[in-house]
Amino acid sequence: MIDFLVRYPRLGRLFDLLLPLLATLAALAVGAIMLQLLGANPFVAYRALLEGAFGSQNALADTIVRATPLLLVGLGICIAFRAGVINIGGEGQFIAGALPATLLGLSFPDAPAIIIIPAALLCGFLGGAVWGSIPGLLKAYFNVNEILSTIMLNIIAVQFMNFLLRGPMIDPVQLQAASAIPQTARLNPAFDLPRWVPTRLHAGALLAVVLAVVVYILLWRTTTGYRIRAVGFNPDASRYAGINVKRNIVLALLLSGAFAGLAGAVQVYGVSHRMITDGSAAGFTGSAGFNGIVAALFGKLHPLGAIPASFIFGALIVGANSLQRAMQVPAALITALNGLVVVFVVCSDIFSRRLARRRQIGVAEVGSKGAGAQGGGGAGERPPTAANVGPPDSASAQPAPPATAAKVGATIKPVAHVAGQEASSD
Amino acid sequence: MNDSQLIAILASIVLQASPLIIAVCGEILTERSGVVNLSLDGSMLMAAMTGFVVGMKTDSYWIGFLAAAVVGAIFAAIVAFGSIRLGQSQVAIGFVLTLLGDDLSAFLGQNYVRQTGVVVPRAGIPLLKDIPILGPILFNQNIVVYFAILLIIGTWWWLNRTQAGLRLRGAGERPTAAFARGVDVNRVRYAYTILGGALVGIAGAAYSLNVKIGWSDGHVRGFGWIALAIVIFGGWSPIRGAFGALLFGATKALATALQRAFPEVSVVAFNAIPWALMILVLLAVGSDYTERFIEAMPRRWQRPLRRVLRVSPPMALGTAFHEG
Repeated sequence: MIDFLVRYPRLGRLFDLLLPLLATLAALAVGAIMLQLLGANPFVAYRALLEGAFGSQNALADTIVRATPLLLVGLGICIAFRAGVINIGGEGQFIAGALPATLLGLSFPDAPAIIIIPAALLCGFLGGAVWGSIPGLLKAYFNVNEILSTIMLNIIAVQFMNFLLRGPMIDPVQLQAASAIPQTARLNPAFDLPRWVPTRLHAGALLAVVLAVVVYILLWRTTTGYRIRAVGFNPDASRYAGINVKRNIVLALLLSGAFAGLAGAVQVYGVSHRMITDGSAAGFTGSAGFNGIVAALFGKLHPLGAIPASFIFGALIVGANSLQRAMQVPAALITALNGLVVVFVVCSDIFSRRLARRRQIGVAEVGSKGAGAQGGGGAGERPPTAANVGPPDSASAQPAPPATAAKVGATIKPVAHVAGQEASSD
Repeated sequence: MNDSQLIAILASIVLQASPLIIAVCGEILTERSGVVNLSLDGSMLMAAMTGFVVGMKTDSYWIGFLAAAVVGAIFAAIVAFGSIRLGQSQVAIGFVLTLLGDDLSAFLGQNYVRQTGVVVPRAGIPLLKDIPILGPILFNQNIVVYFAILLIIGTWWWLNRTQAGLRLRGAGERPTAAFARGVDVNRVRYAYTILGGALVGIAGAAYSLNVKIGWSDGHVRGFGWIALAIVIFGGWSPIRGAFGALLFGATKALATALQRAFPEVSVVAFNAIPWALMILVLLAVGSDYTERFIEAMPRRWQRPLRRVLRVSPPMALGTAFHEG
């Protein structure tokens, strides 16, 4: 099949574009087998899923509402991964943004909404930025592995949230009631983000889409963005080119955290209107911090690609919930289904890379033209193909990169691959 | 607090640390060969669930451990195959597998939540357990703890005193050089990734069958990440890693004790302590400032200090290797 697609490049390109969709369908097919094993009719089940996600105005609005935090977190992930740092701290940064935003709204219940809402979003942005800059500083100046520090900061943020919501920030009503649910009071309804009545769709979704464009411009149309991508692509070359690698690593993680924090603030002001915890991170965030990573990877670490990717994931989550209600299948099946989609999408990326490599071989066999494509990265009618393969392969062809780059280099392989593609098309 | 209480606490720290030690040794073998298996948190959850369920069904903890080892090995094999054969990022695959293991274990194990299964019985070693102090702490435990202790020594010996260990380290430090000396680098990496994964699987089952008996949703969540952090803290050395695992167990025990002593301080502070401490430790061992501090010390102290305070990862960790 690969041979066939190599022979017809146009078809191959189309195939590349459709691949994530095909992967999702394949995952759903495996899910269908699982449903069948559980004694549920998969056709009925998937119909329930589709109707739950897209069936009505409300369903569609819910899908977008679920997609909004994924997109915001995903935008931050795009920035971090492009800089070659792996930010797994979305959950903690989400909380770190939501807390000050909520605190602001609770502290000034009588202030005009026109001041409070932007200020709260800014608080969320800053809170996330602070929480994200910690692993950034630790990585840049103390060589602390960011994967581990972000994970640990997640746990610390959750503990801190539990503490605040059970103690200082608890809803006075809950304090008197015997139940004592750990949650804050409801924010003044005047502070709710503008909604498209009668649905639950709020203005945060629009903000997220606008910010996606902003992040795209930041990464590809500004010097700052260029530096961030350069650091991710090749830290050593960037250093020799006079780019302050450490500062850009901190900046990337700071921005990454800021977007996750903003997602937290938007979630509070747009959807939940209060903070509530069940003791775990997912109880408040709905795992947006993790799913955002997946959405970003799904969108090929491109801010604009993250828009449809997070929409699809939002649809899966919302649709799966209604599937569960309709079919009485266990909730765990739904999470497993989501996991399957992720695995299939990642696998599909492997497939498309193999396809690209095959094409590259094809180009090389043609002769001199192939060599030109490899060097220039833009020759012939298959520029993305050549660029796709050129940089990562040449990078991985050096089995022992300089010691300093080894650790970073390990983590940026996929990013370098995409970044290279963009860099050479500029 | 009298002596017997203290010994009981120390024995429980050793018991609590045993699964972590096993996981850390497994991951050290994997990482020293040049592969990062980031899926620990997910694969330990899957292995804990599988080990518990299989043990319960077959009424034998041995078979439970075996099944858990197979599950861990499968997860590791996916990481190895994806990174070596398919050229994907080890981190991305590992992370996705972490999420998948978490979800899948919740899904597959939902019917076995809070049931009673088999447990590993206590088995003191006849003569050794009568040694004062050390005996009750180390040798009046059960096979899981003994396995962990043997594994520390075995892993150290294998890495540093055997030909195979040299090849393993070569694949992780200088794959080209190792290749030139006739080592099939990628084969070595496959082998130790899968072996390490099997040990991680055993570690997962060591929780559900011995330390934190039973199964519930997210039963051992978080321990995989701790193990990964301890590998770095331990400087990729099994002995130091085991020390790190014990230290982590001790801080947790200390946090519990402190909490009893200071009930007015929020429980949250004590829950967060081990994690904050872990970050500080990672900060200390990797920082350039530590190096400056060492250089400011008398020359005679520098070498031992550096051995204790500094760590450096295998040079080719996480990078792909292509022959020719």
